[in-house]
Amino acid sequence: MARAARLFEQRLEDLRRRVDGRFAWLLAGQWLAALLVAGAFSARDMGAVLSGAALGLGPMVLAWRWPGAPLTRHVLAAAQLLGSALFLHLTEGRVEAHCHLFVSLVLIAFYRDWRVLLTGSAVGLLGVLTATQPDAWNLLRETLWVALLDAVLLVACRDVLAELREAAGHRAEAELAREREHSHTVALDAALRELHVLQEQHVRVEKLAAVGQLAACVGHELRNPLAAVRNAHTYVSKRLARGPEALQDARVPQFLGIMERELNVCARIISDLLDYARERAPSLQPCPLRPLVDEALAVVPAREGVRLHNEVPEALPVPWLDKEQFRPVLINLVQNAMEAMSERGGEVAVRAEPGEDGRLLLRVVDDGPGIPSDVLPRIFEPLFTTKTRGTGLGLAIVAGNVRRHGGSISVRSEPGRGSEFLIQLPSSATRRSA
Amino acid sequence: MSAPRILVVEDDVSLRLTLVANLELEGLEVVEACDAEEALLRLEDVRVDLVLTDIRMPGMDGVELFRHVKRTRPGLPVVLMSAFVGERVDDALAEGAFTVLPKPYDVNHLLETVLRAVRSPEVLVVDDVEASADSTVNALRAVGLRARAVYDGEAALASARTGAFDVCVLDLLLSGISGPEVVQRLRASRLPVAVIAVSAYASQELMRRAAAHGAVSCMHKPMELRELVQSIARVRGQPRLTR
Repeated sequence: MARAARLFEQRLEDLRRRVDGRFAWLLAGQWLAALLVAGAFSARDMGAVLSGAALGLGPMVLAWRWPGAPLTRHVLAAAQLLGSALFLHLTEGRVEAHCHLFVSLVLIAFYRDWRVLLTGSAVGLLGVLTATQPDAWNLLRETLWVALLDAVLLVACRDVLAELREAAGHRAEAELAREREHSHTVALDAALRELHVLQEQHVRVEKLAAVGQLAACVGHELRNPLAAVRNAHTYVSKRLARGPEALQDARVPQFLGIMERELNVCARIISDLLDYARERAPSLQPCPLRPLVDEALAVVPAREGVRLHNEVPEALPVPWLDKEQFRPVLINLVQNAMEAMSERGGEVAVRAEPGEDGRLLLRVVDDGPGIPSDVLPRIFEPLFTTKTRGTGLGLAIVAGNVRRHGGSISVRSEPGRGSEFLIQLPSSATRRSA
Repeated sequence: MSAPRILVVEDDVSLRLTLVANLELEGLEVVEACDAEEALLRLEDVRVDLVLTDIRMPGMDGVELFRHVKRTRPGLPVVLMSAFVGERVDDALAEGAFTVLPKPYDVNHLLETVLRAVRSPEVLVVDDVEASADSTVNALRAVGLRARAVYDGEAALASARTGAFDVCVLDLLLSGISGPEVVQRLRASRLPVAVIAVSAYASQELMRRAAAHGAVSCMHKPMELRELVQSIARVRGQPRLTR
């Protein structure tokens, strides 16, 4: 696996650089120690010790300039072993110097490089030969010892390298797994983003469709009053064009009145649409309910045989309402109730009472024919209407306004017995510290 | 000849009042009804020359009223007024309603259309393949439209000048005077005849040349009778470019 090999090489190089650095310090330290020992005990070896400085200087420069390079470690190893040989020479073959030689071999084994070990061993043996009496027995003994140690160290080197290689393999696998996981995460993120975009698109398309439907509905609803205005306008224009006797035509003022009324219808349809489209947050103010209901009942066009009752108690806690948003709620509900009445008329009552947890319950109750059960579930849907003239926005506006007040609206109806719209306003609308 | 009598059926009071006033101002006699049921009662009592009805009304709607009229008084033209577009309007047009006027209509355009409808104009079918022309005419008559066939361009122009026709269904692939030329001469003579140009898909070029001479509706062969009848009704509701 290329990645494992690369990781292994990298680890090995790091390790060798580190060893280079340590050897440089080691050489410097040994030389200083030798200097001190020579100064203290045998001044005559001062020259040899000083020449050791030259021996250490070159490798140190190499370790500083080219750490990790093969040449550097060979030279460092050679220098370390030459140092041992010098020690051997100066001590004339003392056992401590031999130990130094062996320790040096062990130390260069830290490079985990059999070539360096061989270089070191060769230089060491050469040093031993020149530093001591070059007899065959001695040479054989040193060679055997070095060979034995080398064999052990070589095995150790091989094991450590194998371990390093194995670790690099594991690490490479782990890295690969992490990368795979990362790429999965990235793909998942991309998919989620795409999904999000699609969802937004879907919502936009649905909104557009709803807006289109709304526009079509309102456009159609405007056609009747506009046609009446156009008719009336054409008639009045033609009459006026034919001469001043037009002023005697009773239809002229009547038609001007019709134009006024139908234009008001247009204006109401448009403002309904705007009310529905504009999601203005209510600006709440303390607003006594009973007078507001009176206002609403006064606005609703009267109908023969239908009696309206404001049964909101005077003593009701004053709720916090947006008057401009809540008045249409009452007008709409009362007007719907009135229009639902059959020919024989009936009663429409607005009632209110405090509910649990400081809530306020407001009811608009009628004793009309009730709402058919197939109509009931769709009654608050925008554009849903059962009238031949009507945008189907009225109750949708009501529900929207109540919702913006934090309240809820529900309806109960029994065919033949009447209907009841119940508005529940939250306690925040009633108990609000000023 | 006495003034034509129009039955106006409209549930919106303002609209009915103002519409009736305009018709009366132009010298037409008007009978009013506020819904389809009342309209049927009026039809029992009085002879009328045309029914002008709203489509969306409580109870029976305008399309049903048209079907009823077609069954009981075939030949009595029915003009629909619509605030909505939808399947039901298309059905009524395919079944032979004279036309539909979208609200808010221009009153003068409505008057022109109503007066034209009262005259019960015919559809002129022009095709040099006689069998084809005759079968189209028979199909249109079966739906209740008045139609006549001619088999060349000269005859077509001569017929158009009589004023008995308000729509010309013209096969562009004619021997003698070419289809596009018939269109050109109709337009040049400013005859108030709407043209429905018919051609096979293979002769797109003819269609382009015909259209270059003025407003024509285009249809491709083979055409469905339903679509042809709808097209005739729709062009009848369009303002005449020439008067």
